[in-house]
Amino acid sequence: MISDKLKQVILKELDLQDFDFRDETIASQVPGWDSLNHINIILAIEKDYGIKFKGLEILKAKNLGDLQKLIDSKTPA
Amino acid sequence: MPQAIDFEKLLSLFTYDKFDPLLFGSSLFLFFFLFVLIVQRLFSNQKTLRIYSLLFFSLFFYYKAAGIYLLLLVFSSAFNFYFGSLIFKSKSDGKKKFFFILALVVNLGLLGYFKYTNFFLQILTDLKVGTFDPLKIFLPIGISFFTFKAMSYVIEIYLEMMEPVKSFRDFSLFIFFFPNVLMGPIDRASAFLPQIEEDNPITKEDIGKALFLISCGLIKKYAIADYIALNFDERVFGFPLRFTGVENLIAVYGTALQGYCDFSGYTDMALGVGLLLGYKLMDNFNRPFKANSVADYWRRWHLSLSTWLLDYLFKPLQISFRSMRKWGTALAIFVTFFAVGLWHGPNWTFIFFGILHSFYLIFGMFTQDLRKKITDKLHLTGTRLHKFIQWIFTFHLLVFTAILFRSPSMEYTLDMFHQIFTFFHPEVFPQFVQAYTTIFVLIVFGYAVHFLPKSIEEKTEKLIIKMPVVLQAVLFAGVIWFVVQFKSAAMMPFIYFKF
Repeated sequence: MISDKLKQVILKELDLQDFDFRDETIASQVPGWDSLNHINIILAIEKDYGIKFKGLEILKAKNLGDLQKLIDSKTPA
Repeated sequence: MPQAIDFEKLLSLFTYDKFDPLLFGSSLFLFFFLFVLIVQRLFSNQKTLRIYSLLFFSLFFYYKAAGIYLLLLVFSSAFNFYFGSLIFKSKSDGKKKFFFILALVVNLGLLGYFKYTNFFLQILTDLKVGTFDPLKIFLPIGISFFTFKAMSYVIEIYLEMMEPVKSFRDFSLFIFFFPNVLMGPIDRASAFLPQIEEDNPITKEDIGKALFLISCGLIKKYAIADYIALNFDERVFGFPLRFTGVENLIAVYGTALQGYCDFSGYTDMALGVGLLLGYKLMDNFNRPFKANSVADYWRRWHLSLSTWLLDYLFKPLQISFRSMRKWGTALAIFVTFFAVGLWHGPNWTFIFFGILHSFYLIFGMFTQDLRKKITDKLHLTGTRLHKFIQWIFTFHLLVFTAILFRSPSMEYTLDMFHQIFTFFHPEVFPQFVQAYTTIFVLIVFGYAVHFLPKSIEEKTEKLIIKMPVVLQAVLFAGVIWFVVQFKSAAMMPFIYFKF
């Protein structure tokens, strides 16, 4: 499940009103999520959650579900 | 009296000759491939024998092109198979990283040694660090292609995108597979290996599609690319100062088309040959000259290389440099395209080609908002005129880099610019059309077909698929006859063999 917080961060960075984000959603399916915005989204997540990703962790994330799991593993429950 | 069989000549067909590899489109290849198809058909119900025979044929094909350096191909296969498994089995992240870096060092080290040693020695000599004589190093054909193909396997395992394959036999087929071993496409392990496992039968649709692809490839390579190269482009690029600006400019348009037809023609044939053997290879081109931006061009040209570098070089770099935001992306673009240039060969013209493309992309990125503001103000955004301006501008930026790509050295490039900008002489154009009518017609025809809607290509392909086998055979024979009319006595090597 994609949390509301993550959804809002992405929507804000991509300047979107709404989007049906699912675990299996990949970047290319989301309007405006190109390689430039990808970096902006990663930086925004790091800032909003107060976490720091390793490069390899981001590369391993195949879809939004993986990204959510990665965030969850770095934030206290 | 019947002539005695010349056994020496017969034997030479099966031994390595560096001037005589088994080129797609040569009559020897045709016989070789027919034999391969018959054997594959004979073993249609025996998968093991089919795969082993295909491995044998692939090794023979590579041996004909590189001789004893066949061992390098075998080493690459064994090494990457073993390291893929080592990386996967390692328990700690540190160990995984260590084996992964070691795999990269060995792969790139071998590529660097065979391809770039003399280039770097020359640079050291030029920088007056010392005097270094070039070493006698043989460049094994296709090393850049099969090294990248093999590297995709260890990278994908490291990134947990796939698990190692259990069978060394299957992995070797992925590395040796003769349709793509010399000039790509640089297929991904995760896309190719499951096809060996699934073992899908060859359908009538595959056969029709393959005939269409091979026919397109033959026409592109022999009727267009080679004819333009031999009869016009090489003359102008060899001595730019002997020709006026008009001829130089037409040669530049010609060379862009010729480079595309040469490489995409080879890819079409590789894809067709692969399909007839039951394997779908990655597509490499999507009408690159239709691109309306340089970024769009890289989503249409040599896709198997551009996506490889995008996934395995650009993205990791961009993430590492992310704190620098746009500047970090710019740096990642620069490094990636420097690698694109270097990958093409140890020559400054290729490196400048890559750097120029990186500048196009970086400039495009930094001016994106400004350009949008301007076109919005002019009410141009999204209009047909806007798209046309974008396309024609992009096309000429690409043609400009084609000069660098094709010139023997920077001096020749500068000579061509000199002729185009200071010795143009438009009045020569009618004489050119008269003297080089076939060349002119081929260039116009080549570009016209390139810009036709994709639906026409799809409809033609469907038509061929639906044809009865006899008609398909007649059509294919017709294509071969047509190509033979153009084919010069001396065959031109495919440009990308050098890489």
